[in-house]
Amino acid sequence: MFIDTLLIGISSGAIYSLMSLALVLVWRSTRVVNFAQSGQAVLSTYIGYEITAKTHNYWVSLPLAILCGALIGSLVDLLFMRLLSKRVKSGPISEIAPVIATLGLLGLIQSVIGLIWGNAFLQYPSPLSAKGFTFGSHTIPFSPQNLFIVLASAVVLAIFGVIFRFTNLGLALRASSFAPEIAQLAGIRVSRVRNIGWSFAGAAGAVAGAVITPTSTLSPNSLDLLFVSGFIAAVIGGLDSLVGAVVGGLVLGVSFSFILQYISSSVTFLAGFIILMIVLLVRPRGIFGKRVGRNA
Amino acid sequence: MLRRRLSPLQRAGFLALVGIVLLVASRFIGELRDYQGAQVAVYIIAISSITLLTGYSGQISLGHGAVMAIGGYGAALSFSLWQFPFVIAILFGILVGTIAGFVLGVAAARLSGPYLAGTTLALAVGLPTIADQFKVLGGEQGLNFDIGDAPSWVRKLGGSEFTQYKWFFWIAVIAALISLWAITNLLHSNYGRNWRAARNNAVAASLAGINVARGKILAFTVSSALASLAGALFGLLLGIVTPTAFPLSLSFAIVTGAVLAGVSNLAGSIVGAVVLVAIPEVSGALATHLGGSQKVTANLPGLVTSLLLILVVLFMPHGLRVRRFKRVKNLIRTK
Repeated sequence: MFIDTLLIGISSGAIYSLMSLALVLVWRSTRVVNFAQSGQAVLSTYIGYEITAKTHNYWVSLPLAILCGALIGSLVDLLFMRLLSKRVKSGPISEIAPVIATLGLLGLIQSVIGLIWGNAFLQYPSPLSAKGFTFGSHTIPFSPQNLFIVLASAVVLAIFGVIFRFTNLGLALRASSFAPEIAQLAGIRVSRVRNIGWSFAGAAGAVAGAVITPTSTLSPNSLDLLFVSGFIAAVIGGLDSLVGAVVGGLVLGVSFSFILQYISSSVTFLAGFIILMIVLLVRPRGIFGKRVGRNA
Repeated sequence: MLRRRLSPLQRAGFLALVGIVLLVASRFIGELRDYQGAQVAVYIIAISSITLLTGYSGQISLGHGAVMAIGGYGAALSFSLWQFPFVIAILFGILVGTIAGFVLGVAAARLSGPYLAGTTLALAVGLPTIADQFKVLGGEQGLNFDIGDAPSWVRKLGGSEFTQYKWFFWIAVIAALISLWAITNLLHSNYGRNWRAARNNAVAASLAGINVARGKILAFTVSSALASLAGALFGLLLGIVTPTAFPLSLSFAIVTGAVLAGVSNLAGSIVGAVVLVAIPEVSGALATHLGGSQKVTANLPGLVTSLLLILVVLFMPHGLRVRRFKRVKNLIRTK
């Protein structure tokens, strides 16, 4: 029972990690918490759904959905966020403007999806079985689909890890989030690098949407709770840290799974709030967040 | 922002006048308009709680729907369980919400920006699930908060056809006017000045002897008191308090209203509230005009709200105030 719960926790934790990674990627490069992330992810999942309906092949739709997710992320930055950061620089609204604007974008994406596909719950099946593995006579709740979720998330996280650690692009990404002006002076085209950060985030969100949706249903709001979990995970990890995003996601996934198993299903988000409070009261900038000095 | 200075008594007189006009006017408008008017009044209170918190104290909350739920449940619980009169029940709801707001405020004062947004967001999602856990809170069915018809002396005052919705309108309008009066006085006081100082530059404010953390906690507490009043009235309008009455979208809606109003503009909360109530109505009419299918009618309000929100943030970051009006006023002043 304990192992089962742990495995399920890791599977959902992997998804939270992807979502939280998407948020951290955007936050690091633009200091914006992208509330539209769940909208972007659900839009790319709908595109994947449409492709599956045409081709009857999940494995064709998956990479295309991820590609679309990256494209959507890039477009959101180009068409929307650049305009926002240019227009809203000061005044009492400047702090919350990105929050409001991305919330507006989320609503826009979701209502456009509703206009095109309707608000009904759609099935986006994957060829993998959602029935648990069987060992002898014992069937555990951990299914091939869960295994695929864990593997896919691990692969995505590993790819991002390698890019950030070992490539010039990764260095440019880190430099332009650490010190944009100096990076610019060193010849990095910061705005283009930022755009790549947005498309990476879009791709990570698209993976999360495409692998989690087969286990439930698809609707304009179906990824909202995933987004909330991902956000909580990112805040627990400290919004600036990619490792923190993964750790936060796993911590949250495993604790949700144990609470679901041993206490009650309806208190999970309350527990999320309590975990978040405890972490933030001990470390107001998350587990892996750096302390910042005063800059005024 | 706060340019024309009236004394608290003058403001009270002005608001009382507005109140009398509105209450008299309620005779001549229909049932539906009464109900919508009451909704506007409730939204004014909710939006001004965000205006106070975000615009004046510089904190952000995406969880004020949850605070409203606390107020609503506090009022409904004391009303249905202990048979409190409804005015006392509302005050009890405010008390519970204020205490909760103080606890939250202590935590919030340590957090900034996205960390605070994340915490309050988690609260908004998590809190309504408590109701399922305790029998006394009524689970999915919720708690009854049906206050019935107005007492006879009010009906005598209000005229022959004094319906329940007119009574709701009266209650909500009076509550909104009292809240607006209290908030303006507070913002004109030392506390309001300290909040603005701490918002503009925390370091400079603390060097000037302002206790920044205490100010933030106070702002969160006052804002929660307002939000729980709005929540109690919200339950009163519905006649029932349920977990689904306070969804995440409510939290977002009042933040939307505050932004439409221009976050640091108290009078604008009226504009924001009217827009929030009008959007479903207008877009519903638009959808039927377009001869829309179910897809259109279900999604048009969301589309209109989101577009409005984006356009306002991008092009009118100070809210839906009419610029020209301001210019005319300045013209008059210089002459």
